[in-house]
Amino acid sequence: MFKLNLKIAWRNLFKNKVYAAINIGGLAIGLTAFVLLILFVNHETSYDKWSPDLKNIYQLREYHDYSTPDNQPHWMQVNDSRMAALVRDKIPQFKYVTRIDQDWGDGFSVKLANADPAIVDHFRDTDSLFFKVFPYQFLQGDRFTAINKPNTIVLKQSLAVKLFGTVKVLNKTIKLLMWRDDPGTLMTITGVVADVNMPESVKFNAIIHTGNIDKDPEQINNFRHCEIYASASGKIDITQVNRTLHKIYVDYKKASFVKRKITYADYYKNGKKPGLKIIPLQKVYATPSFDVSWVDRIKPIVAISIFLLLVSVINFVNLATAQSVQRAKEVGVKKVLGAYKKQLVTQFLLESALQTLAALFICIILVEVLLPVFSNHFDVKLSFWRSEQLLNISFQLLGLFVLITFMAGFYPAWILSKYNPVKVLKGNYESGFKGIAMRNGLVVLQFIIAVTLIIGIGVMYQQTNFVANKDLGFNRDKLVNISTYYRDGDLIGERIKKITGVKYVATTTQLMGNTFNVPSEITYNNQEHSVNTVTVTMDALPALGVQVLSGRIFSLEYKKDTVNTAVLNETAAKLLGKNLVGKQFKEGENSFQIVGVIKDYNNEGFDKAVLPTVYRVTHLGGMASTNNLLVRFDSDNYKPALMAVEAEWKKIYPDFPMIYTSVEDAFQKSMEATHKQMQIIVLFSVISVVLSLLGLFALSTFMAKRRTKEIAIRKILGASNLEIINMLNRSFLILVILANLISWPIAFIITKKWLGGFAYRIDMPFWPFAIATITSVIIAVFTVSLQARKAAVNNPVDALKYE
Amino acid sequence: MIELKNIEKYYSSKGIKHYVLRHVTTTIKQGEFVSIMGPSGSGKSTLLNILGMLEEPTYGTFEFLGEDVTSLNERKRIELYRNHIGFVFQAYHLIDEMTVYENIEAPLLYKKVGSSERASRIANLLDKFNIVAKKDLFPNQLSGGQQQLVGIARALATQPSIILADEPTGNLQSAQAEEIMQLFQKLNKEEGITIIQVTHSEKNATYGNRILNIQDGVIKEDSPTQAPQMGGVV
Ligand SMILES: Nc1ncnc2c1ncn2[C@@H]1O[C@H](COP(=O)(O)OP(=O)(O)OP(=O)(O)O)[C@@H](O)[C@H]1O
Ligand SMILES: [Mg+2]
Repeated sequence: MFKLNLKIAWRNLFKNKVYAAINIGGLAIGLTAFVLLILFVNHETSYDKWSPDLKNIYQLREYHDYSTPDNQPHWMQVNDSRMAALVRDKIPQFKYVTRIDQDWGDGFSVKLANADPAIVDHFRDTDSLFFKVFPYQFLQGDRFTAINKPNTIVLKQSLAVKLFGTVKVLNKTIKLLMWRDDPGTLMTITGVVADVNMPESVKFNAIIHTGNIDKDPEQINNFRHCEIYASASGKIDITQVNRTLHKIYVDYKKASFVKRKITYADYYKNGKKPGLKIIPLQKVYATPSFDVSWVDRIKPIVAISIFLLLVSVINFVNLATAQSVQRAKEVGVKKVLGAYKKQLVTQFLLESALQTLAALFICIILVEVLLPVFSNHFDVKLSFWRSEQLLNISFQLLGLFVLITFMAGFYPAWILSKYNPVKVLKGNYESGFKGIAMRNGLVVLQFIIAVTLIIGIGVMYQQTNFVANKDLGFNRDKLVNISTYYRDGDLIGERIKKITGVKYVATTTQLMGNTFNVPSEITYNNQEHSVNTVTVTMDALPALGVQVLSGRIFSLEYKKDTVNTAVLNETAAKLLGKNLVGKQFKEGENSFQIVGVIKDYNNEGFDKAVLPTVYRVTHLGGMASTNNLLVRFDSDNYKPALMAVEAEWKKIYPDFPMIYTSVEDAFQKSMEATHKQMQIIVLFSVISVVLSLLGLFALSTFMAKRRTKEIAIRKILGASNLEIINMLNRSFLILVILANLISWPIAFIITKKWLGGFAYRIDMPFWPFAIATITSVIIAVFTVSLQARKAAVNNPVDALKYE
Repeated sequence: MIELKNIEKYYSSKGIKHYVLRHVTTTIKQGEFVSIMGPSGSGKSTLLNILGMLEEPTYGTFEFLGEDVTSLNERKRIELYRNHIGFVFQAYHLIDEMTVYENIEAPLLYKKVGSSERASRIANLLDKFNIVAKKDLFPNQLSGGQQQLVGIARALATQPSIILADEPTGNLQSAQAEEIMQLFQKLNKEEGITIIQVTHSEKNATYGNRILNIQDGVIKEDSPTQAPQMGGVV
């Protein structure tokens, strides 16, 4: 029976080639999107899973607003380094607690004996306990003693191979320069650990133990911020530990406030509150301190891939039920030949399984082909066959196969197997024909998805356009940011200034791509305001090309500019009041005079609002010592000048290569994530819409075919071709219009929510709605008419003879 | 073998009962060849459908092989289809996606007949009906008469004890019709298969040995055929 059923399935597929192609092809595309998504999710959930022992490692998080992009408190993964000792003393469940310096990003210069210096990133400075907490496998050296002494370094296998061509590098030394005029530290290699080929949230190329981070700052008012990880010997009760942590943290803070002569109530106000907790290492990646987590990031893509899959499944179901007219006789006959209903259901499920299997095969090929592109696009290393989780993936695919087979096949199978043989065998297919309501419902659902997606694309397009053309408030071209600290008068700055083609050399703590926000409270007119403070050198604002709204910006002519003047941005000015130029405000004990107001400029993407900001050229407000050395060039063709800068750099700092990026690139990078996500969404949406239309096309073919006899009779009775086309169109048109009516509010809510994520956004546009509706109606009418016309212009005699 | 007592069938619409069959009481014995006749709309097909358990009577009892089957569960009914009843239709109703061979094989597969037994039975039938050469063709490649031969071969494949045929020759011209009727007669005489057919043709009815004449849902006449005619060999 099985073999015969397979044969029938095959013959049916062959008989309806076009629909089979639409079915299988559509399903394959839907599956491909979904499988890619699964691979991505697999990758994102595989962080910190490379050893079973990682289950027992926890990351400490303190609730504070130090160095947050919006100056608001968050659960930050960098903590006051003193927390390590506190946790070790007060929480006996933890065996080891280790401190890791923040990943500063740009990397260190590595100098091997005679080779040129090279920049290597992800060096992490830790105390001596790192490898006691993290169970890395040592290929060379001893895990428990390797970094006991200061100035030791443990390399990752890949770095060792890259630098030395071998992992046998014990006791060799490398010279490490951490900044441009660092004389360098000789580090002894005391170990090499194996690479892990699964993602890690504590990412490193080498672990160094300089000793800098072993002790906490002595002054109670000084802080060092670092990451802290603790390992437990077994399972612990996190809620319980967190309750204790909170309590000891509050006690600790109170005690330290007494020494620092501040009051608890003064410190914790305006939404600030004390907080210290642990989270399992394996949850660290999914809960970043303030960025959107990957789960939230891909939510729209998840939704759209599910829609995509749904659209292809709906096509499948609709075409199958439409086809069931053709199969009715088979069912009726088989029933009187002695087939159980169950056997018939199985037969039709088998058919959908067959098609799903074919789709799955095509999908696997497509995934293989698309994976490199996809990996590249999302900048993740996804793999399919070579994946560590192959077994896992096989199960997921199997699950998907079963799910799709049932989703696509069960309803048609059930409908078909329910046919009453007497009715069918009397030739009365129509009355035995079930499932029209269901099918219409599915067509509506499909069009709701399609129309909503079209509207979504339209709104996104307009918003992107708006952002792309929006003025950043500063001039980002001809601007290069060298990653190094800088103060007016520094040797390197003076040398660069002399190069022809260089217009300004400056620094600021706030620059696209590298911003270091410092929150502060200022008093103006006896009123206190929270503002963001930025320290700049004299030339920074002119170098950025900001627009002056009133007053002036800093200039060498005014001596006091290095002491106690300030420039506000528009947002800050609005906060304080009107006619500010010349007025004074206080920050703590110090007074500053407002000399000018500039137009807001964006130094983050457009999803974040510009903070009220005070700009100063003064050491009273902190140093401009973030790693931004801003160089503005004269002409668009600044390449030769930039090369001259690099040559000058090399002369002064031969052992530390110059690291730089253009501000334009930094800007593009800040837009990149949104852009990439948008491209995926648009791509998936377009595919969904096309699949919906293909489904409609196939369905209307069936409908026209099914009504061939009716059409023929109507024509004999005198109906014109146009009247017949209209008749066939009417039923579909009602469905499409209904779908549009339902889509509008849905699309409105979704796009409004999406726009809400942008600090700078367009008003809800009307056009995408109108366009989506008009397009969907036109395309639906066109598709249906195409089929209807074919049926209508046929000679009625042929149809009746055929019957 | 079949015992009908007081069978009634009506359809009610708007509260009014439209009787299709009334007080139908009759017995059909093993080995009989019965022709049901009557004007169009008199209820012939309905009666045959009830006999084939495709429809349920609204009232009355129906015993098949001594068992009350008026309201049989699906599984039991399917067992009867598999083992005792063969259907032949006016419109042949072969499955279009199956070849001649596969069409005949289908009921055997449902009955779970072993493969060698299956092959020999099908070979036998193909041979008997002279359609060996056609075994790999699809129904739409056959003439109406050939299709009906396949339909009968399919009905006989499970070696049923009774064949129910609703106007088996309704779509055929007389020469082909005669051939089919002779075949029925032969099956009835030589293999003792009970045959119940619905027919409009007086001539076809004479091939059988009993005629039930139905008018307005009532059996008006139940008589043996006048001159049982021996046909030529098929
Ligand atoms: N589902 C139904 N609902 C209502 N009435 C029905 C239904 N099925 C059949 N009938 C009625 O039952 C009566 C008998 O129908 P049946 O098919 O048995 O007639 P018949 O004797 O086989 O006629 P013919 O020789 O034309 O095939 C007809 O009057 C028909 O209208
Ligand atoms: Mg009839």
